[in-house]
Amino acid sequence: MPGKTPDKEPVENGGYRGGKDIDMTDKDLKPKGKKSIKDGDDEMTVVVPPSKSSKHSSAPPPNDADGDVAMDDSDKAEDGAVKVDPIVQTISDIKSNFALLDRAVTLFDARFSLRALRSISSIRKRLTPDILAQVISETFAANSASSHIAKGLLLAMGKGDVSLGRQPGPEMEIDSEPKSKNGARKEAKEIIPEIDIFIGILTQVLLFDSKQTQRGFEFSSHLASRVQSLNRRTLDSLSAKVYYYLSLFAEQLAPLPPSPQSSIVSIRPTLLAALRTAVLRKDTDTQASVIVLLLRNYLSTSHISQADLLVSHTQFPENAANNQVARFLYYLGRTRAIQLRYTEAHEHLTAATRKAPSSACALGFSQTATKLLMVVELLMGDIPDRATFRQPAMEAALQPYFLLVQAVRVGNLEDFEIIIADHADTFKRDGTYTLILRLRQNVIKTGIRMMSLSYSRISLRDICIRLHLGSEESAEYIVAKAIRDGVIEATLDRERGFMKSKEVGDVYATREPGEAFHDRIRACLALHDESVKAMRFPMNQHRLELKNAQEAREREREMAKEIQEGDLDEDDLGGEFEGM
Amino acid sequence: MAERQLNQILTQLKSSPLPYTEASTLLSKAKLLLLNLSALTPSSSTPPSLLGLARDTYEQGALASIRAKNSDAFTRYVNQLSPFYELPPHVLPSGSERNKVTGLYLLLLLTQGRYAEFHSELEALSTMGVDVEGDRYLGYPIRLERWLMEGSYDRVWKAMKKGEVPCEEYGVFSDILTFQIRSEIASSSERAYPSLPLSSTKSLLFLESEGAVVDFARSRGWIIKDGTIYFPSANAAQEAGEEEQEKETSQMIIENTLGYARQLETIV
Repeated sequence: MPGKTPDKEPVENGGYRGGKDIDMTDKDLKPKGKKSIKDGDDEMTVVVPPSKSSKHSSAPPPNDADGDVAMDDSDKAEDGAVKVDPIVQTISDIKSNFALLDRAVTLFDARFSLRALRSISSIRKRLTPDILAQVISETFAANSASSHIAKGLLLAMGKGDVSLGRQPGPEMEIDSEPKSKNGARKEAKEIIPEIDIFIGILTQVLLFDSKQTQRGFEFSSHLASRVQSLNRRTLDSLSAKVYYYLSLFAEQLAPLPPSPQSSIVSIRPTLLAALRTAVLRKDTDTQASVIVLLLRNYLSTSHISQADLLVSHTQFPENAANNQVARFLYYLGRTRAIQLRYTEAHEHLTAATRKAPSSACALGFSQTATKLLMVVELLMGDIPDRATFRQPAMEAALQPYFLLVQAVRVGNLEDFEIIIADHADTFKRDGTYTLILRLRQNVIKTGIRMMSLSYSRISLRDICIRLHLGSEESAEYIVAKAIRDGVIEATLDRERGFMKSKEVGDVYATREPGEAFHDRIRACLALHDESVKAMRFPMNQHRLELKNAQEAREREREMAKEIQEGDLDEDDLGGEFEGM
Repeated sequence: MAERQLNQILTQLKSSPLPYTEASTLLSKAKLLLLNLSALTPSSSTPPSLLGLARDTYEQGALASIRAKNSDAFTRYVNQLSPFYELPPHVLPSGSERNKVTGLYLLLLLTQGRYAEFHSELEALSTMGVDVEGDRYLGYPIRLERWLMEGSYDRVWKAMKKGEVPCEEYGVFSDILTFQIRSEIASSSERAYPSLPLSSTKSLLFLESEGAVVDFARSRGWIIKDGTIYFPSANAAQEAGEEEQEKETSQMIIENTLGYARQLETIV
């Protein structure tokens, strides 16, 4: 870190404390083996992967020294933290993120800005307009070039009267004396755009949590246009978040989505422009997130053909974040299901449910995706797995679908109609109603299949009565169609009006078992390939192995030589082997 | 001035179903007027009265072209109409013909076998809060689709006869639909029945006379013997297909096994 002065350290150190939960997930951080011992912080020790710390025990010395300095200051900061109230704590947490962003810019490493973004969720709970106003007034100088941005931020929060360039409050002074010096330095320096966009995002979060949708929407539009005008690669992950909140606000505005006048229609040009720019700038974060937002946008007003066109004309970035991929797959699966392309829909939705985070934080997403997946499975003529309904987190939400599956499985048209009528509101809310209506023919087909399996010969009249079909003629046509579609193996006798089932042949004589076997093998092989791909291969690891092999060979040779020379006992030899 | 002219043309169009050539000349005149008024597509600056006129023009155009069985022109009009239908009701109060035109469009998609678009359109309608099934014009194609999908062809047939059709324009599609269901029935009969007596085939295929049945049977290559229809072609084709399948199966197994061997080689 060139140009880094020790007086900045307290801020940075705070960053580690503020973002503890983040550190846990990021394994490849700066050397922390030392730190964890010194700090005695129990949470820190969890982070350290034992194999790593031992391998990297010879970490680069400059970094080590850096860490030491930070440690010395941390004691002081800790003292301060004991006395200060949560507001000051939050402020210092927010500010610590500025250091991360600063580092992201100087080192040109997106990881740091991602870390800053992830800390939002922990800050979010403590955030109030007062805190944010204070942060802004302390960060921006009154007479600097970016002061008008700060003014805008303050106005958006309804705190237009707060003056800029304020020095940290008296309670902050205990925190660290070098801080005031630091503040002075900052004023002289121009505030980097990353920081003001970050504050912008915090403002969006604040407005969203306090349900100020209209104001939030206006502010987000401004922020989005500002992000658009800045061309900085270190801003990528931040701008993705900006667009996310913009679209979130738009969805909550007065005429809610299904109506064509909803404001989400009006942000489409903005999002499309953002997508274009993101593609040109090779900004995968924004690209992925904006594509997902646009798909959601189109589907919420049921512009399926537009959504389809968008998918066919854009390429979803391969290295997008996992969550975005899951969302994208879900929306794609939804589009395909509506277009009757069930096989593709099934593929996408299965991937989406698997990619969904397994923790409780995204339960809604997994529930919605699972519901849709089930309907698609039913439409394909499959029966979803019983175990899916037993998952404790899903059980209640999937209850109507469970009944539906039962009706389809048995082929009872009457039950099916009753369930649709009973749970119409639930299905409509889930957006699966029109898909479920299409299931009618599947129910009939299952019913016919059941009849064909149970009876070797059955009159069309009986079929008609049991399946509650309109008339005998309908039954005849329906059965004929089922035979043609390969649902059942049977023949019809028109003169005498019955259906005669063909003897069911030996299933093992057909190609079916082979196909099932092949499918499973393919799945296993795919899993193997995926795992190989997912493995990480440390650089130069093979050299280490080569070296080991060479050493072993040498040892062997030596041993052989010793045996030849005859000055090695049998016991010795045995011991050697055990050791190896 | 232009607006008044437009009004005149519209009343002319609406008053009585004109022959297509006349209607199309009137329509092109109307479209030219709209172009002069720059109201071909809705924009925020277009006055509401003009919007209504433009929409009515397109609607009349759509109906005229469907009467003339010009499906391309009809699709074009529907596409031009869609931005008008997206407008909020306080800018443009919804007219009477909307559901009719949409229903016709659905029926067109159905007869052309464009099911994906059919369902996309349907999804859009149901989320907009339109009572799709209850509507006279919209419910009709939806019911037809459902019956076609399950195979209740007799209901489709009944729906096309007997004044069940919501309006005369819908009748245009009956020929196409009849042909469609007839070939569907024929192809399922080939598989479902070993043989069929001529007399009952008539009612099965909704044909008028036995002569028509014979003609139809010939066109599909069925063999008629002693007043009974046999489907030999299907059987022969099936047997040939089975043999082919046998060959394919063994080839597939060989291919798969080779594939496994190769994969094992790479893994181990």
